[in-house]
Amino acid sequence: MARIRFRTGPSDMRLISTLLAVLLALPFSWGIFTGFFLWFSPFIMLNSVLTHKSLVFLHTVAVAVLVTAFFRKRFFCIYLCPVGYPCDAISRVSPFKASYLKKFPDISRWIAVVSIVSAASGLPLFILLDPLAIFHGFFTSLSGNIELAGILALTGFPLLLALHYFFPNLWCGKLCPLGGLQNVAWDMRSYVQPVFSNDQKSSRSFSAGRRYLISAGAGVAAGFFLPKKINPEGGPFIRPPGSVAEDTFNTLCIRCGNCIRSCPTKILHQQIDASRIMCFMTPEVRFTKGYCLEECNLCSKVCPSGSISLFSPEDKKHIIMGMAEIELDKCWLSNNRECNRCLVSCRYDALCIGSGEEGSQALPHIDPELCTGCGACAVICPPEAIKMKPVKAKEKVNIYQ
Amino acid sequence: MKRRDFLTKALIAGGTISLGIGCRNKIRVQSADKQPVPEPALTGLTGRTIEEPTRQIPVLAETDVLVIGGGPAGTAAAIAASRAGAETWLVERYNHLGGLWTGGLVLPLLSTHAVDRRNRRKQVIYGIGGEMAQRLKDLGMSISEVNPVVDPEAAKYVLDEMISESGVKMLYHAWATGAIMEENVIRGVFIESKSGRMAILAKIVVDCTGDGDIYHFAGEKYDMMNYHIGLVHRLGNIDRIKDPSALPDGLDLGSPTPVKSVNWVNMQGRRNQNGVDVLNLSKLQMDYRKEIWDKTQRIRSTPGFEEVFLVDTASQMGVRMSRILDGEYRLTLEDTMTFKAFPDVIGISGAWTTMMYKGRAVKPEERPYWQIPYRSLLPRSTENLIVAGRCFCFERDLVEDTRIIGTCLVTGHGAGAAAAIASKKGIRAREVNTKELKSLLTEQGAWLG
Repeated sequence: MARIRFRTGPSDMRLISTLLAVLLALPFSWGIFTGFFLWFSPFIMLNSVLTHKSLVFLHTVAVAVLVTAFFRKRFFCIYLCPVGYPCDAISRVSPFKASYLKKFPDISRWIAVVSIVSAASGLPLFILLDPLAIFHGFFTSLSGNIELAGILALTGFPLLLALHYFFPNLWCGKLCPLGGLQNVAWDMRSYVQPVFSNDQKSSRSFSAGRRYLISAGAGVAAGFFLPKKINPEGGPFIRPPGSVAEDTFNTLCIRCGNCIRSCPTKILHQQIDASRIMCFMTPEVRFTKGYCLEECNLCSKVCPSGSISLFSPEDKKHIIMGMAEIELDKCWLSNNRECNRCLVSCRYDALCIGSGEEGSQALPHIDPELCTGCGACAVICPPEAIKMKPVKAKEKVNIYQ
Repeated sequence: MKRRDFLTKALIAGGTISLGIGCRNKIRVQSADKQPVPEPALTGLTGRTIEEPTRQIPVLAETDVLVIGGGPAGTAAAIAASRAGAETWLVERYNHLGGLWTGGLVLPLLSTHAVDRRNRRKQVIYGIGGEMAQRLKDLGMSISEVNPVVDPEAAKYVLDEMISESGVKMLYHAWATGAIMEENVIRGVFIESKSGRMAILAKIVVDCTGDGDIYHFAGEKYDMMNYHIGLVHRLGNIDRIKDPSALPDGLDLGSPTPVKSVNWVNMQGRRNQNGVDVLNLSKLQMDYRKEIWDKTQRIRSTPGFEEVFLVDTASQMGVRMSRILDGEYRLTLEDTMTFKAFPDVIGISGAWTTMMYKGRAVKPEERPYWQIPYRSLLPRSTENLIVAGRCFCFERDLVEDTRIIGTCLVTGHGAGAAAAIASKKGIRAREVNTKELKSLLTEQGAWLG
């Protein structure tokens, strides 16, 4: 009897991993697992944690990947990376030779170091270059409406693939900050490995070279001196609940679209207005049919960058996205038509019809203390008399301590 | 250690420490919970009680089916039962049939249409309710195909006509004041009128009181729902206004009715009002009437609107909701949004307003038709009692669709047909064969999907 033996190599594992990543990136209701592969990236994790100064539980996944990188050189790239697999496949079929790229310096680790250090001083400079973010952004564009700007948003991941066709292995080998970060970890393995093993051979002293120092210095400088207020205060549109202040949001958001794909009522859309290039591809709330459910905090759970801070469903009534505004001229009750839809839809008791004293022509009004801008009244209003307005970042900021 | 080595390490260490400090930051929010609005209880009771002496009550009639309440549901129920061959009595407290539809001046017959499985919007209310609408249309006394607005006097006339054609024994000016119970079986109802207290005994009682008075008397369980109470009025001489747009803000001429010179004016009214608290109803009645009078005077004092006059205020307060039965099956919003099919369907109703379902607003033009099961009309413990009209068993999210004329006509028709079958066969209302019920309803013109 012949024994059937399965031999799995790194390539097979990476294929499975890639397929899984694609599956989780597709716009189905994956809940907390939406775009789960983003949590594997220690580059996003470090940028986010250093900028946002807060940790969430799922960051442990990226920490594990980072720790592994001290023991196995670029473990994630070899075994798991869903971007590396297609990139390598393209490199293999490329008619161009990689030889003339030998002169090109390996700048991946410097990109990683600059970005992470600058994140610590407030501006995650190169967080958008994370390959997993680019990969997921591509799938988010697929799920939305195809508009011109949306098509532009599509190009990130194909661009990576094209890069590998003309310059085989350029991205993975020399540019990718996720790989670079793992290289840094491998450089520094002598600090970590002896703690776990007595194998003296594997340890070697690490000296922080001039280039580390320069890139770290550059990062600090970037964080301090680059203009942080890239976007004016008080976004011109409504952000998802729990979003950080607008200037931080535009730099921290990795445009992966996890929030957009996970939203159960599909009210999040990619911002594709060409006039707001700093906000390009970031999530925008548009109340067309659905509203922001009172018990839902999924977008904050799946956000790997922390641009949408994690909040509990119980706190949701205090998290302000916007404010309802009623045009009483349009309101049916101005004409005594039968309607109480806004009143019934409001889950926060922020909407009243009449004060109880005047009887016949009771009109709706909003309690600004209680309104969170969830949009329920706006979507249900039959004459579309209620609009949601974004609130100033200053007013929003008072929920963060 | 080299200097730059030291600097780099210091940077990393500093970053780690700042991270450690920063990680304590989480979203913290102040809690500012508002007290919920208390539901008003029955007002003005002294707390004293006196005992009523026992006495012999004359029995007015012994019948197969007794329908209490002559609103849309009661009228449809009585006609359905009588046409199916059961001897039927109908008891109404006012001097007209149609309830809030006519006397309450809530003139639109809402929810006549809904979307079917192929996404086409079509008429869904047929049967006796559909026949009423058709007769009014033939008289030229209804406007618009979808959710027609009718003339109240024409509707009163048509309902009277249909009642007498079908041979129902009509009793106006009589209130039901108590249920005659044997254990948990209802045997009849006490009524009170100018002729004094009397009893009507019946095999099956149909509670179409709207407020669920009969199941309240019978000791059934129910929810109490406070809602807006309004008072509708009508304005005349509308056609003599040359420029209606000249009316100042805050005043309103209402919506057209089939009578050219008359408009009806709806009123949202005060919210969270108890509709079975008689003192509350009396107070609201007086306040609203004064308000309407004052408002009409303001309209009349506007140049160009001098000839407008108040035709009438409704003879019935616009109680939108009061008691909700705790029945055998509670119809849910999900049932109405998903084409849920019931084996014991007694009717189908449509949609007239936007509903929030699973976080999305569904407009009436997109909403599916929905089936009403017979079980929703049956109380849990009382036997031989069937409930129709706005007080049957449903969840509160559904109230906008269940409290309106169209749905009342449908539930009334179903309840009347079921009562006829049960009384003729001598079985309990709960034991009615659903196949038989459905074939009778279809025979009577109802549409069951």
